[in-house]
Amino acid sequence: MAEISKPMAWNGEGSIGASINRRQVSLFDPRHRSLHNLIHSRPSMLPTLNLTGDVILAEHLSHRFGKIGLGDIVLVRSPTDPTRMVTKRVLGLEGHKLSFSADPLVGDGSVSVVVPKGHVWIQGDNLYASTDSRNFGPVPYSLVEGKALLRVWPPRFFGSLR
Amino acid sequence: MASSFWNIAYQQAMKSGVLVAKVYSFLHVTTNYLAFPAYAFGPSMIPTLHPSGNVVLAERISKPSRGDVVVFQSPEDPNKLPTKRVVGLEGDSVSFVVDPGKNDESRTIVVPKGHVWVEGDYIQNSRDSRSFGPVPYGLIQGRLLWRVWPFQDFGPIGPPTTT
Repeated sequence: MAEISKPMAWNGEGSIGASINRRQVSLFDPRHRSLHNLIHSRPSMLPTLNLTGDVILAEHLSHRFGKIGLGDIVLVRSPTDPTRMVTKRVLGLEGHKLSFSADPLVGDGSVSVVVPKGHVWIQGDNLYASTDSRNFGPVPYSLVEGKALLRVWPPRFFGSLR
Repeated sequence: MASSFWNIAYQQAMKSGVLVAKVYSFLHVTTNYLAFPAYAFGPSMIPTLHPSGNVVLAERISKPSRGDVVVFQSPEDPNKLPTKRVVGLEGDSVSFVVDPGKNDESRTIVVPKGHVWVEGDYIQNSRDSRSFGPVPYGLIQGRLLWRVWPFQDFGPIGPPTTT
Protein backbone atom coordinates (compact mmCIF):
# COMPACT_ATOMS: atom_id res chain seq x y z
CA MET A 1 0.00 0.00 0.00
CA ALA A 2 1.96 2.99 -1.22
CA GLU A 3 0.86 6.30 0.14
CA ILE A 4 2.15 9.18 -1.93
CA SER A 5 0.98 12.71 -1.46
CA LYS A 6 2.66 15.55 -3.27
CA PRO A 7 1.55 19.08 -3.95
CA MET A 8 0.79 18.63 -7.65
CA ALA A 9 -0.91 21.19 -9.77
CA TRP A 10 -4.38 19.79 -10.31
CA ASN A 11 -5.37 20.09 -13.91
CA GLY A 12 -8.06 17.50 -14.26
CA GLU A 13 -7.39 14.19 -15.83
CA GLY A 14 -8.51 12.28 -18.87
CA SER A 15 -11.79 11.45 -20.11
CA ILE A 16 -15.16 10.46 -20.49
CA GLY A 17 -18.15 12.58 -20.32
CA ALA A 18 -19.91 10.10 -22.53
CA SER A 19 -19.04 7.00 -24.42
CA ILE A 20 -20.77 6.51 -27.70
CA ASN A 21 -21.09 3.16 -29.32
CA ARG A 22 -22.32 3.11 -32.84
CA ARG A 23 -21.11 -0.35 -33.64
CA GLN A 24 -22.97 -2.72 -31.43
CA VAL A 25 -26.70 -3.05 -31.32
CA SER A 26 -26.95 -3.96 -27.69
CA LEU A 27 -28.79 -2.90 -24.57
CA PHE A 28 -25.80 -3.35 -22.42
CA ASP A 29 -23.69 -0.76 -20.68
CA PRO A 30 -20.24 0.10 -22.14
CA ARG A 31 -18.58 -1.79 -19.33
CA HIS A 32 -19.82 -5.04 -20.70
CA ARG A 33 -19.45 -4.38 -24.37
CA SER A 34 -16.33 -5.85 -25.76
CA LEU A 35 -15.61 -2.77 -27.87
CA HIS A 36 -16.66 0.79 -27.59
CA ASN A 37 -15.81 4.29 -28.74
CA LEU A 38 -14.63 6.76 -26.21
CA ILE A 39 -14.19 10.52 -26.28
CA HIS A 40 -11.10 11.93 -24.66
CA SER A 41 -10.66 15.68 -24.45
CA ARG A 42 -8.28 16.65 -21.69
CA PRO A 43 -4.66 17.77 -21.84
CA SER A 44 -3.30 14.92 -19.75
CA MET A 45 -2.38 12.73 -22.69
CA LEU A 46 -0.79 15.29 -25.01
CA PRO A 47 0.79 14.90 -27.48
CA THR A 48 -0.61 11.43 -28.02
CA LEU A 49 -4.24 12.52 -27.74
CA ASN A 50 -5.43 15.93 -28.88
CA LEU A 51 -6.78 18.65 -26.67
CA THR A 52 -9.88 19.18 -28.77
CA GLY A 53 -11.13 15.67 -28.33
CA ASP A 54 -10.43 12.32 -29.91
CA VAL A 55 -12.67 9.35 -30.33
CA ILE A 56 -10.83 6.16 -29.49
CA LEU A 57 -11.79 2.58 -30.03
CA ALA A 58 -11.23 0.59 -26.86
CA GLU A 59 -11.67 -3.05 -26.07
CA HIS A 60 -12.66 -4.71 -22.83
CA LEU A 61 -11.25 -8.18 -23.33
CA SER A 62 -7.48 -7.94 -22.87
CA HIS A 63 -7.53 -7.06 -19.23
CA ARG A 64 -9.55 -10.18 -18.41
CA PHE A 65 -6.77 -12.35 -19.82
CA GLY A 66 -3.97 -10.41 -18.24
CA LYS A 67 -2.76 -9.07 -21.57
CA ILE A 68 -2.05 -5.51 -20.46
CA GLY A 69 1.59 -4.65 -21.01
CA LEU A 70 3.98 -1.77 -20.58
CA GLY A 71 3.22 1.17 -22.80
CA ASP A 72 -0.43 0.29 -23.36
CA ILE A 73 -2.97 3.06 -23.10
CA VAL A 74 -5.64 1.80 -20.75
CA LEU A 75 -9.02 2.91 -19.44
CA VAL A 76 -9.01 2.79 -15.69
CA ARG A 77 -11.76 3.49 -13.18
CA SER A 78 -10.47 6.37 -11.06
CA PRO A 79 -9.53 5.33 -7.52
CA THR A 80 -10.54 8.74 -6.24
CA ASP A 81 -13.88 8.99 -8.04
CA PRO A 82 -15.51 5.69 -8.99
CA THR A 83 -17.90 7.33 -11.44
CA ARG A 84 -15.08 8.51 -13.70
CA MET A 85 -12.86 6.67 -16.10
CA VAL A 86 -9.35 7.90 -16.84
CA THR A 87 -7.19 7.18 -19.86
CA LYS A 88 -3.52 6.77 -19.10
CA ARG A 89 -0.49 4.79 -20.14
CA VAL A 90 0.79 1.82 -18.16
CA LEU A 91 4.36 2.54 -17.16
CA GLY A 92 4.89 -0.16 -14.56
CA LEU A 93 3.61 -3.64 -13.77
CA GLU A 94 3.80 -5.41 -10.44
CA GLY A 95 7.30 -5.75 -9.12
CA HIS A 96 8.75 -3.01 -11.30
CA LYS A 97 10.83 -0.29 -9.73
CA LEU A 98 10.06 3.22 -10.94
CA SER A 99 11.48 6.66 -10.30
CA PHE A 100 9.59 9.77 -11.03
CA SER A 101 9.94 13.43 -10.38
CA ALA A 102 7.87 14.62 -7.47
CA ASP A 103 7.02 17.90 -9.14
CA PRO A 104 8.23 18.28 -12.73
CA LEU A 105 7.67 22.03 -12.72
CA VAL A 106 9.87 22.72 -9.76
CA GLY A 107 12.84 20.46 -9.68
CA ASP A 108 14.33 17.05 -9.71
CA GLY A 109 13.26 15.74 -6.33
CA SER A 110 13.13 12.16 -7.45
CA VAL A 111 11.07 9.48 -5.75
CA SER A 112 11.57 5.74 -6.19
CA VAL A 113 8.75 3.29 -5.79
CA VAL A 114 8.20 -0.44 -6.29
CA VAL A 115 4.85 -1.37 -7.79
CA PRO A 116 3.17 -3.78 -5.35
CA LYS A 117 1.68 -7.13 -6.33
CA GLY A 118 -1.64 -6.90 -8.11
CA HIS A 119 -1.17 -3.23 -9.06
CA VAL A 120 -0.12 -1.19 -12.09
CA TRP A 121 1.45 2.24 -12.39
CA ILE A 122 -0.29 4.59 -14.78
CA GLN A 123 0.85 7.97 -16.02
CA GLY A 124 -0.47 10.46 -18.52
CA ASP A 125 1.85 11.37 -21.39
CA ASN A 126 1.63 15.03 -20.46
CA LEU A 127 3.49 14.96 -17.15
CA TYR A 128 2.76 18.57 -16.31
CA ALA A 129 -1.00 18.30 -16.57
CA SER A 130 -1.89 14.82 -15.50
CA THR A 131 -3.24 13.41 -12.27
CA ASP A 132 -2.14 9.85 -12.22
CA SER A 133 -0.21 7.32 -10.18
CA ARG A 134 2.20 10.04 -9.12
CA ASN A 135 -0.73 11.51 -7.18
CA PHE A 136 -2.90 8.59 -6.16
CA GLY A 137 -0.35 5.80 -6.12
CA PRO A 138 -0.32 2.49 -7.95
CA VAL A 139 -3.74 1.32 -9.04
CA PRO A 140 -5.09 -2.22 -8.39
CA TYR A 141 -5.13 -4.21 -11.61
CA SER A 142 -8.86 -4.92 -11.30
CA LEU A 143 -9.63 -1.25 -11.86
CA VAL A 144 -8.29 -1.52 -15.41
CA GLU A 145 -11.36 -1.85 -17.56
CA GLY A 146 -10.15 -1.54 -21.12
CA LYS A 147 -7.31 -1.04 -23.54
CA ALA A 148 -7.26 1.60 -26.25
CA LEU A 149 -6.73 0.18 -29.72
CA LEU A 150 -6.75 3.01 -32.17
CA ARG A 151 -8.06 6.48 -32.81
CA VAL A 152 -11.06 6.79 -35.10
CA TRP A 153 -11.68 10.56 -35.04
CA PRO A 154 -10.47 13.08 -36.26
CA PRO A 155 -10.03 11.20 -39.53
CA ARG A 156 -6.66 12.66 -40.39
CA PHE A 157 -5.27 11.12 -37.22
CA PHE A 158 -6.96 7.78 -37.79
CA GLY A 159 -4.71 4.96 -36.77
CA SER A 160 -2.69 3.60 -33.96
CA LEU A 161 -1.86 5.57 -30.86
CA ARG A 162 1.91 5.93 -30.72
CA MET B 1 -48.11 -26.90 -49.78
CA ALA B 2 -46.60 -28.78 -46.88
CA SER B 3 -43.42 -27.38 -45.44
CA SER B 4 -40.35 -29.47 -45.83
CA PHE B 5 -38.51 -30.98 -42.92
CA TRP B 6 -35.81 -28.32 -43.07
CA ASN B 7 -38.31 -25.48 -42.96
CA ILE B 8 -39.84 -26.84 -39.79
CA ALA B 9 -36.45 -27.58 -38.29
CA TYR B 10 -35.35 -24.05 -39.10
CA GLN B 11 -38.42 -22.54 -37.44
CA GLN B 12 -37.89 -24.63 -34.31
CA ALA B 13 -34.24 -23.63 -34.18
CA MET B 14 -35.18 -19.96 -34.49
CA LYS B 15 -37.75 -20.22 -31.69
CA SER B 16 -35.28 -21.94 -29.40
CA GLY B 17 -32.61 -19.45 -30.35
CA VAL B 18 -34.85 -16.52 -29.44
CA LEU B 19 -35.72 -18.16 -26.14
CA VAL B 20 -32.07 -18.76 -25.33
CA ALA B 21 -31.28 -15.14 -26.18
CA LYS B 22 -34.07 -13.89 -23.93
CA VAL B 23 -33.05 -16.07 -21.00
CA TYR B 24 -29.40 -15.07 -21.41
CA SER B 25 -30.25 -11.36 -21.58
CA PHE B 26 -32.44 -11.61 -18.50
CA LEU B 27 -29.74 -13.41 -16.53
CA HIS B 28 -27.05 -11.05 -17.74
CA VAL B 29 -28.93 -7.91 -16.76
CA THR B 30 -30.02 -9.39 -13.43
CA THR B 31 -26.62 -10.62 -12.34
CA ASN B 32 -24.76 -7.54 -13.54
CA TYR B 33 -27.11 -4.85 -12.32
CA LEU B 34 -29.39 -6.30 -9.68
CA ALA B 35 -28.29 -9.28 -7.65
CA PHE B 36 -26.15 -12.35 -7.97
CA PRO B 37 -25.52 -15.50 -5.96
CA ALA B 38 -22.15 -16.17 -4.43
CA TYR B 39 -20.43 -18.86 -2.42
CA ALA B 40 -18.53 -17.54 0.55
CA PHE B 41 -16.16 -19.60 2.66
CA GLY B 42 -13.25 -19.04 5.00
CA PRO B 43 -12.75 -18.12 8.64
CA SER B 44 -12.47 -14.37 8.35
CA MET B 45 -16.16 -13.58 8.82
CA ILE B 46 -17.03 -15.78 11.80
CA PRO B 47 -19.68 -15.61 13.31
CA THR B 48 -21.52 -13.81 10.54
CA LEU B 49 -20.61 -16.37 7.87
CA HIS B 50 -19.77 -20.06 8.33
CA PRO B 51 -16.16 -20.94 7.57
CA SER B 52 -17.19 -24.08 5.73
CA GLY B 53 -19.28 -22.26 3.16
CA ASN B 54 -22.46 -20.29 2.63
CA VAL B 55 -24.47 -19.61 -0.47
CA VAL B 56 -25.47 -15.97 -0.32
CA LEU B 57 -27.31 -13.44 -2.42
CA ALA B 58 -25.47 -10.21 -3.12
CA GLU B 59 -26.97 -7.06 -4.57
CA ARG B 60 -25.44 -4.34 -6.71
CA ILE B 61 -28.05 -1.65 -6.26
CA SER B 62 -27.08 0.18 -3.11
CA LYS B 63 -23.95 2.15 -2.44
CA PRO B 64 -21.91 0.51 0.32
CA SER B 65 -22.24 2.09 3.74
CA ARG B 66 -20.71 1.45 7.14
CA GLY B 67 -21.53 -1.99 8.47
CA ASP B 68 -22.30 -3.63 5.12
CA VAL B 69 -20.69 -6.93 4.26
CA VAL B 70 -19.33 -6.53 0.75
CA VAL B 71 -17.72 -8.71 -1.87
CA PHE B 72 -14.91 -7.02 -3.79
CA GLN B 73 -11.98 -7.74 -6.09
CA SER B 74 -8.81 -8.00 -4.04
CA PRO B 75 -6.29 -5.19 -4.63
CA GLU B 76 -3.57 -7.79 -4.20
CA ASP B 77 -4.82 -10.41 -6.60
CA PRO B 78 -7.43 -9.57 -9.24
CA ASN B 79 -8.59 -13.20 -9.37
CA LYS B 80 -9.66 -13.28 -5.74
CA LEU B 81 -12.97 -11.99 -4.38
CA PRO B 82 -12.81 -11.50 -0.63
CA THR B 83 -15.88 -10.85 1.49
CA LYS B 84 -15.44 -8.43 4.37
CA ARG B 85 -17.34 -5.80 6.32
CA VAL B 86 -17.08 -2.09 5.56
CA VAL B 87 -15.79 -0.51 8.73
CA GLY B 88 -14.90 2.94 7.43
CA LEU B 89 -16.03 5.16 4.58
CA GLU B 90 -14.03 7.93 2.88
CA GLY B 91 -13.01 10.55 5.39
CA ASP B 92 -13.38 8.27 8.42
CA SER B 93 -10.51 7.83 10.84
CA VAL B 94 -9.76 4.17 11.38
CA SER B 95 -7.53 2.79 14.15
CA PHE B 96 -6.09 -0.67 14.12
CA VAL B 97 -3.37 -2.70 15.75
CA VAL B 98 -0.50 -3.05 13.31
CA ASP B 99 0.90 -6.41 14.37
CA PRO B 100 -1.25 -8.11 17.03
CA GLY B 101 1.26 -10.93 17.48
CA LYS B 102 4.09 -8.59 18.27
CA ASN B 103 2.81 -5.72 20.38
CA ASP B 104 -0.10 -3.38 20.94
CA GLU B 105 1.13 -0.59 18.72
CA SER B 106 -1.80 0.91 16.87
CA ARG B 107 -2.06 3.19 13.84
CA THR B 108 -4.74 5.60 12.78
CA ILE B 109 -5.47 6.17 9.12
CA VAL B 110 -7.90 8.52 7.41
CA VAL B 111 -9.69 6.67 4.64
CA PRO B 112 -8.93 8.53 1.38
CA LYS B 113 -11.59 9.81 -1.01
CA GLY B 114 -13.12 7.13 -3.20
CA HIS B 115 -12.07 4.28 -0.89
CA VAL B 116 -13.51 2.15 1.93
CA TRP B 117 -11.85 0.37 4.81
CA VAL B 118 -12.83 -3.28 5.19
CA GLU B 119 -12.19 -5.68 8.03
CA GLY B 120 -13.29 -9.24 8.67
CA ASP B 121 -15.58 -9.95 11.61
CA TYR B 122 -13.12 -12.52 12.92
CA ILE B 123 -10.25 -10.13 13.29
CA GLN B 124 -7.74 -12.77 14.41
CA ASN B 125 -7.81 -14.63 11.11
CA SER B 126 -8.65 -12.11 8.46
CA ARG B 127 -6.64 -10.61 5.65
CA ASP B 128 -8.20 -7.22 5.04
CA SER B 129 -7.50 -3.50 4.84
CA ARG B 130 -5.06 -3.82 7.72
CA SER B 131 -2.84 -5.69 5.25
CA PHE B 132 -3.69 -4.33 1.81
CA GLY B 133 -4.97 -0.87 2.66
CA PRO B 134 -8.20 0.90 1.79
CA VAL B 135 -10.12 -0.51 -1.16
CA PRO B 136 -11.28 1.78 -4.01
CA TYR B 137 -15.06 1.83 -4.59
CA GLY B 138 -14.54 0.61 -8.15
CA LEU B 139 -13.45 -2.79 -6.86
CA ILE B 140 -16.59 -3.46 -4.87
CA GLN B 141 -18.80 -5.97 -6.65
CA GLY B 142 -21.83 -6.16 -4.37
CA ARG B 143 -23.30 -6.13 -0.90
CA LEU B 144 -24.30 -9.38 0.79
CA LEU B 145 -27.99 -9.37 1.45
CA TRP B 146 -29.28 -12.82 2.30
CA ARG B 147 -27.96 -16.23 3.18
CA VAL B 148 -29.61 -19.01 1.20
CA TRP B 149 -27.67 -22.04 2.45
CA PRO B 150 -27.15 -23.67 5.02
CA PHE B 151 -30.92 -23.71 5.41
CA GLN B 152 -30.87 -23.49 9.19
CA ASP B 153 -29.44 -20.02 8.81
CA PHE B 154 -31.60 -18.85 5.95
CA GLY B 155 -32.08 -15.15 6.51
CA PRO B 156 -30.64 -11.69 6.21
CA ILE B 157 -26.98 -10.94 6.79
CA GLY B 158 -26.90 -8.13 9.26
CA PRO B 159 -24.75 -6.18 11.68
CA PRO B 160 -21.95 -7.91 13.55
CA THR B 161 -23.24 -9.94 16.49
CA THR B 162 -21.58 -8.90 19.72
CA THR B 163 -20.45 -11.89 21.80
